[in-house]
Amino acid sequence: MAKQLVLMMCPVGIAVALLWRYARTVPAAPGVRDDVPVRLLRWAVGLLSAGRAEWGQAMLGELDHLEGRGQRWRFAVGCAGAALLLPPWGRAAAAVWAMAALAAVAADLDASLVVRYRLGAGDWVFGVIMLVFVASFALAAATLLRRPGVVVPGLAGGLLVALAWLAMRGFTFYGAIAPMTAPFTPLVAMVAVPALVGVVGTLRAGTAAAGRRIARLAAISAGLALYLYGVIAVVFLGATGPPADPGSTVGYIVSDRLSGNMIANLVAIPLVTATIGWAAAAATARLRPRLAAEVASVPVTASGPGTGLDPVPAPPEAVSAVGAPSWPRTAWLLLLCAAVAAAVFLAAVSGLRG
Amino acid sequence: MQRNRPPSAQAIGVLRALAADPARWRYGYDLVTEVHLKTGSLYPILVRLADRGLLETSWEPDPGSRPPRHLYRLSPAGREYAAALAAAGTSRPVPLPRTRLSEG
Repeated sequence: MAKQLVLMMCPVGIAVALLWRYARTVPAAPGVRDDVPVRLLRWAVGLLSAGRAEWGQAMLGELDHLEGRGQRWRFAVGCAGAALLLPPWGRAAAAVWAMAALAAVAADLDASLVVRYRLGAGDWVFGVIMLVFVASFALAAATLLRRPGVVVPGLAGGLLVALAWLAMRGFTFYGAIAPMTAPFTPLVAMVAVPALVGVVGTLRAGTAAAGRRIARLAAISAGLALYLYGVIAVVFLGATGPPADPGSTVGYIVSDRLSGNMIANLVAIPLVTATIGWAAAAATARLRPRLAAEVASVPVTASGPGTGLDPVPAPPEAVSAVGAPSWPRTAWLLLLCAAVAAAVFLAAVSGLRG
Repeated sequence: MQRNRPPSAQAIGVLRALAADPARWRYGYDLVTEVHLKTGSLYPILVRLADRGLLETSWEPDPGSRPPRHLYRLSPAGREYAAALAAAGTSRPVPLPRTRLSEG
């Protein structure tokens, strides 16, 4: 029952985090554009290396002078794509390639199983959903890996989370597809290890924001690794092994194992790990206030022609702070509060009845 | 290590657009519309040209409260390179300089 409760509380935790973030965001000052293209591009240029920060500011400066919704969107999307790919990537490049290879191998094996066992249309639909997930994971990993100080603790955290789950499953292929009796409570892998990743990541990186990124990268890398392990388990075992179900066809069993593997390792485990790790990072920063101050992700440079490029603090609209919410924001906050309260109520009722 | 490869057709287009009036500072979006490039292609080209010392960059003076705009024009080395490119024609691509050239 504890597992189900933890799973149900994860969306609530995410809603609380979004609510908190929304409540702390100050509306842009009058005259300063802060539409979606600006936010998208600001996020993307934050991924650039310090040596390329000037180019990020060049893109943002150019976008500010463009009129027309379509024109602004096209410019922002194009520049965001360029910022995502613009070298140098440093050590992150190897990690990104490794993650992409992991995702590609897992997706390829999954598709080969669908073909080999001649599974039905529903499995192809699941395969497409799996591809979307795996591609999203690879993209998210590529962006997280470019952040300074995230690569090593994030991947180490992911390895730790994956090992905890594999240990719980007895380090066997049978355990991967039909969970065996765990030698310790599942809450260790579900709660304790992700919390440890969030706390240690925050303390090591020095900021709450970096700690949350480390938790997210750990969730993504662990999910991908466990998914690959699960697919390999199905490749080796096919329809054999426990639980014995003589009434089921081979195709049905393989299909069931593939979909179960996807839901567990690409949805449930990353969701739980990211949420618990995120919460632990936020709590660590709150308990040690000097860690809470977030470093602006976009180093801003503003210089006149012929002068040097002296870094100046990020513009006010780029930094979150407490501010007086306007009426539409208040309405949104009320709606979000109501949704969170309803979710907590439903989770509590389900937990009590279970 | 930087590769000494010839410029792409898009990079040649940017160089030609800049060489048409080499003394004038240009905005990035002006180059996008003039060369019919996608923005996702323009900035990597500008970065590469600047890395090789072919491009001078500057910031728009006195932008007020708005973010400053970046300005671009060919450096002396860039003008020489564009002239060499024009003389050679498109049939014989001229490799981009390997390293950043010294000023002046």
